[in-house]
Amino acid sequence: MNLTQNEYQALYAIVQKGLDNSSKSLSTMTTGGIRLLDPKVEFLPLNVVPGIAGGPAAVVAAVYLGIEGDLNGHLMFLFTLKAAMRVVDMLIEAPGGTTTELDEIGLSALAETGNVCGSAFLNALSDRTGLKIVPTTPVVVTDMAGAILESVVTELYLNGDEVLMVETGFNEEIPGHFLLMPDQDSMARLVAALEAIG
Amino acid sequence: MNIETIPVGLGELKSGTGPNQVLVCYGLGSCIGIALYDAAHHVGVMVHVVLPDSSLNRGQLVQPGKFADTAVPAALAEAVRLGAVRSRLVARIAGGARMLNVAGTVTKLDIGSRNIEAVRATLMAHGVAPAADDTGGTYGRTLQLFVGTGRLLVSTVGRGEREL
Repeated sequence: MNLTQNEYQALYAIVQKGLDNSSKSLSTMTTGGIRLLDPKVEFLPLNVVPGIAGGPAAVVAAVYLGIEGDLNGHLMFLFTLKAAMRVVDMLIEAPGGTTTELDEIGLSALAETGNVCGSAFLNALSDRTGLKIVPTTPVVVTDMAGAILESVVTELYLNGDEVLMVETGFNEEIPGHFLLMPDQDSMARLVAALEAIG
Repeated sequence: MNIETIPVGLGELKSGTGPNQVLVCYGLGSCIGIALYDAAHHVGVMVHVVLPDSSLNRGQLVQPGKFADTAVPAALAEAVRLGAVRSRLVARIAGGARMLNVAGTVTKLDIGSRNIEAVRATLMAHGVAPAADDTGGTYGRTLQLFVGTGRLLVSTVGRGEREL
């Protein structure tokens, strides 16, 4: 699938706005410790997706939110375990290194971060496009990045072989990935919405 | 002896006869790794199955390894092509987890269990019922087939290693 130059620019602007929203909500939660970087927006073949967060065997903590409504798809945050513990430190306003394992409290803190950050992003997307977008309750998993991403990829494969991937990282202190992956059937609605804006 | 690691990506089918070769599916989640091995001829084949049935295919790329129903015959043919004797082939499988347990969604994101069923049924229909398996659950697995010996290792994060 291809986007026209105008559609791509409209999408990029919306994504940037969404990430600004997310960064703001994260700043409030973590007193400015976490920022999202400039995004990449591109179509990727699905078979490469399990490897994009440090390789398929890399151990990560992931926060997953399903997306439903006019836009169906997946939103995911992936952190190295060390970064995930750093995020928890920031949330509980403890000095870096305080959290040494991801216990129940840590996992729910991560879920909350994903929830707030993801919702802020999706709200911006919804405002700009007029599409109804509803996130599911967040799920947190600690496991191999490939295994986690694969579960999303298998579902995306039901609609096609590629995905529009919105990808960004966090500031250096928090190595991680933020991924938005709408399914192929939602793309027509997204493109129509972008044309209406453009 | 230098180990030669051969990664088996999504939908791929890889094979080997070299004593130093290791076929590896890294980070299996809902997908299934099928390992076929003929101990007499040291032939190993591994497939990384993504979906239960090729009728689900809506894309353009057609990789036989991607679907359970097409992966099994393709893997058997590949093993025989490399000198394996069909009746000696032993099948072992791992994967089919449910990684993301989203409340309120029943069918979505549970392709894992459908994959397990489809891979088992297809193997049985081809007369190679799985001799060992490590499937289901809610965690990822890395599957390594040592072509020289037929050793099959399942490793996990925090749940140790296990030989199949």
